[in-house]
Amino acid sequence: MNDIWLIISIVASFISVGVALYLFFWVKKQDPGSEKAQEVASWIREGAKAYLKRLYIALTIVAVILGFIIAVVFSFDWSEVASGQVDITPINGISMAIAFIVGSLCSAVAGYMGMEIAVEANVRTATAAKESLNKAFTLSFYAGSVMGLAMVGLAVFGMSIIYIITEDANIVLGFSFGASALALLAKAGGGIYTKTADIAADLVGKVEVGIPEDDPRNPAVVADNVGDNVGDVAGMGADIFDSYVASVVAVMLLAASSSDLGANYVVIPLILCTLGILASLIGIQFVKVGKNGKPGSALNFGTIITTVIFSAMVVLFVLLSKVNLGIIWTTLTGLIIGVIIGFTSDYFTSENYKPVLETAKVSESGAAINIITGFSYGLVSIVPSVIGIAVATLLSYYLAQSSGLSGIYGIGISAVGMLSISGMIVSADAYGPIVDNARGIAEMAGMDMSVIETADKLDAAGNTAKAITKGFSISAAALTVLALFAAYAEVVSASGVEVSMSLRSPIVVAGVFLGAMTPPLFSALTMLSVTKNAFEMIEEIRRQFREEPGILAGTVKPDYQTCVSLAAHGALSSLILPAFLAVGLPLLVGFVLGPNALGGFLGGAIFTGVIFALFMANSGGLWDNAKKYIETGKFGGTGSDAHKASVVGDTVGDPFKDTAGPSLNTLITVMSLVSSLFAPIIAAFHIF
Amino acid sequence: MTVHLYLSLIPEALIASMLEPEEFGNYYAVGTKKKTSGQAIFFEVNPEFESSYFRIKEAVSRCVPHEDGSPKASIYISIYRVLEHVPMSALGKLYLVTQDGRTLGLDASAEIPLMDEGLHLYKEIAPVSPLVASRLNPMEFFDLIVKNPSSLLTLPAIAFAELRLDQLAEDPMMGRVGDLPYANIDHLREVLKDLKTKHIATKMVDRTSPVSFAYRTVKNGFYIGNETGLNFYPMPSSNELREMNYHWWRSANM
Repeated sequence: MNDIWLIISIVASFISVGVALYLFFWVKKQDPGSEKAQEVASWIREGAKAYLKRLYIALTIVAVILGFIIAVVFSFDWSEVASGQVDITPINGISMAIAFIVGSLCSAVAGYMGMEIAVEANVRTATAAKESLNKAFTLSFYAGSVMGLAMVGLAVFGMSIIYIITEDANIVLGFSFGASALALLAKAGGGIYTKTADIAADLVGKVEVGIPEDDPRNPAVVADNVGDNVGDVAGMGADIFDSYVASVVAVMLLAASSSDLGANYVVIPLILCTLGILASLIGIQFVKVGKNGKPGSALNFGTIITTVIFSAMVVLFVLLSKVNLGIIWTTLTGLIIGVIIGFTSDYFTSENYKPVLETAKVSESGAAINIITGFSYGLVSIVPSVIGIAVATLLSYYLAQSSGLSGIYGIGISAVGMLSISGMIVSADAYGPIVDNARGIAEMAGMDMSVIETADKLDAAGNTAKAITKGFSISAAALTVLALFAAYAEVVSASGVEVSMSLRSPIVVAGVFLGAMTPPLFSALTMLSVTKNAFEMIEEIRRQFREEPGILAGTVKPDYQTCVSLAAHGALSSLILPAFLAVGLPLLVGFVLGPNALGGFLGGAIFTGVIFALFMANSGGLWDNAKKYIETGKFGGTGSDAHKASVVGDTVGDPFKDTAGPSLNTLITVMSLVSSLFAPIIAAFHIF
Repeated sequence: MTVHLYLSLIPEALIASMLEPEEFGNYYAVGTKKKTSGQAIFFEVNPEFESSYFRIKEAVSRCVPHEDGSPKASIYISIYRVLEHVPMSALGKLYLVTQDGRTLGLDASAEIPLMDEGLHLYKEIAPVSPLVASRLNPMEFFDLIVKNPSSLLTLPAIAFAELRLDQLAEDPMMGRVGDLPYANIDHLREVLKDLKTKHIATKMVDRTSPVSFAYRTVKNGFYIGNETGLNFYPMPSSNELREMNYHWWRSANM
């Protein structure tokens, strides 16, 4: 069965990438619009490409260095080191290094394709909006699908081909680590970039000078639009690519290390991903709006129909191939709870519900009350997601156990179930920044009001999709790292070290505290990078306005490139310390305090990581929408004291929701993967 | 190059300029070398206008292009007691300029709109700039301040706009604030309540009210008058403004 399914996986991944390529060229064939629109789009495109070039050069250096270290370290078999015997297995080291580099490469290619099409689709969406909302929606969603389908296709292809060649789940772990390492840098870097530009552009342009959003006179406007792409397209794509691969690898490792489960169960996560690809390919066809349709409803319908199709496929697969029925229950548990958690995020960030409405209302009493209220609702927003994760954990564990499977394997399958429809989820998510950019281009190119109105409608749906995706990806990452945590314990046990992570052990407790400290510290580092870089960019924008008054008069074009360069340089140079935290700290804890402390470290990091990620993503979205609600004319509208207070809240929330929050799930995945990867070596060498 | 005369309200000044009104608005709001930005409101004055009070000819003779051929942006003719010395018949279009230099031109209306019931809120723009609430409609308010003053408070001329009160005009205490961006709404409610319950015609809401204000709060339009008469410049609705001048509409946060 395995061989057939592995071949089907590769075929499905080819179809997925093939459809992505077809859509890529279809989008590029669409009308790019007027000369002015194309000129504006070219500024964004060049800025995005310049950033990606710098990012990928940096990542290549990191990948080569890490690949070399991996090749050397894994060329030795450390399992017998206690007896003084170390075998040399260069093929293992080289395979692991190649898998690591292929993982990085696949993630980079998916991100590149997503970015490449996003910066082509934005201007075409604006042009299509002249004709109809329907046409603009279809174009932007298909462009988003390029990212979604390329991502899942490349991930499944990479994992399948490595497993076919090596038949070793541990080598696939190298692939996953490669994907995660790139994802962390892409997501955190993109997050720092986008908020640096956004905050600087708003604080000088809107607040100090009084020019509107997306005004071409603002020197940071292009950097702001580039940021939407590098943060929300390339960054979010790499993030979900990482969770997607990590969830599969965790389950493969668990199955491979279990004596109760056969080889079939190693490839089941790959099979589920394959079914998810097929379901997403079908589901995407259902995402359509009528003449007066609602884009948000169309996106939600696509997600729901994909979920239903995938569920039916899983049931059919399990029944026909006669694998354990527990696969159905655990997959559906993850899938359904994932979708529910995604939609509960919408409750806390949508202007239709109490949290946003109340935060908007209390803004009449000033910025402090706005922040306290948004902060508090952000904390409350953790509850449904955490309960969802707890329910998914318990249900999948016991449903798997009652079906005769390993409970922890069930949790892993649950995570895979959640992420298997990522093709559809990422398509809807990547649509958001494309329409956001389209609106910016329409504004900057002076397009008709009707185009801007259409773009506004498309943009509103994109914001909701973004909120849902964030909740979904954080929850999926939580289950994934739980499975990775278990996989780590299995790897340590397999290395001959007795795993004991009791909280009565001071060394484990020390590990828990150190782990719990890491996500807040990581958040602080990334947000401080935003403030530092934004400060520099603010000075640059002020300098341009000061030295060239013709910019504000509209007679002189601002120097966009300097702001783009500042944002790119600032983002990339800010990544060194956060990257060390993700990769270096777990190794430091492991080698100094030992594998049990590292287990505690991972536990602590997972719990605070999930809590912080949910809190930051939701509170940031909540503040943002409270401000937007006031801007619709409520509580005094734009210019009122309530509005000024809400702008403060929104600015505080910006790095919460787009920099630190979304990077945390990648952080905990990377730390879990590093720990699992180096577990045999840590088991052999540690001080305590 | 033609020399234009402009009557600015923020600050009150008569200015000669070689710039066309839209260019002048942009220049006046954001500057060319002075690196300033801020709202501006001005009228185009008939270039034939003459007055013994102002040294217009001297200013016009000095209003010549720069050495590089660029137009002279401004020659200030007077910056004090200007409004009272310019007859209403000499005024042309009113120009509203946003903080970032977008300019909107409004024509004077032949008629002053019918007055509705309820309380009123007036933003005085020149020569002084307090925020005043009143039971009087704009015509009556103008009469009280300029034409037939019945109290010690009087001005030789005035430029003001009536601001929206929406539900507060009828129901100061319970009416919904909606999108009215006024600071200290509770104080405004108290002032309006006093006007409803006490026998007073006007009451100060804010004596230190900022000179600039949000254009979207303007109810009907702008009033300017002195001994020679009263001109009214109607403000188009937000939707009309969006249609006719999207960039101004957006900059003005309409």
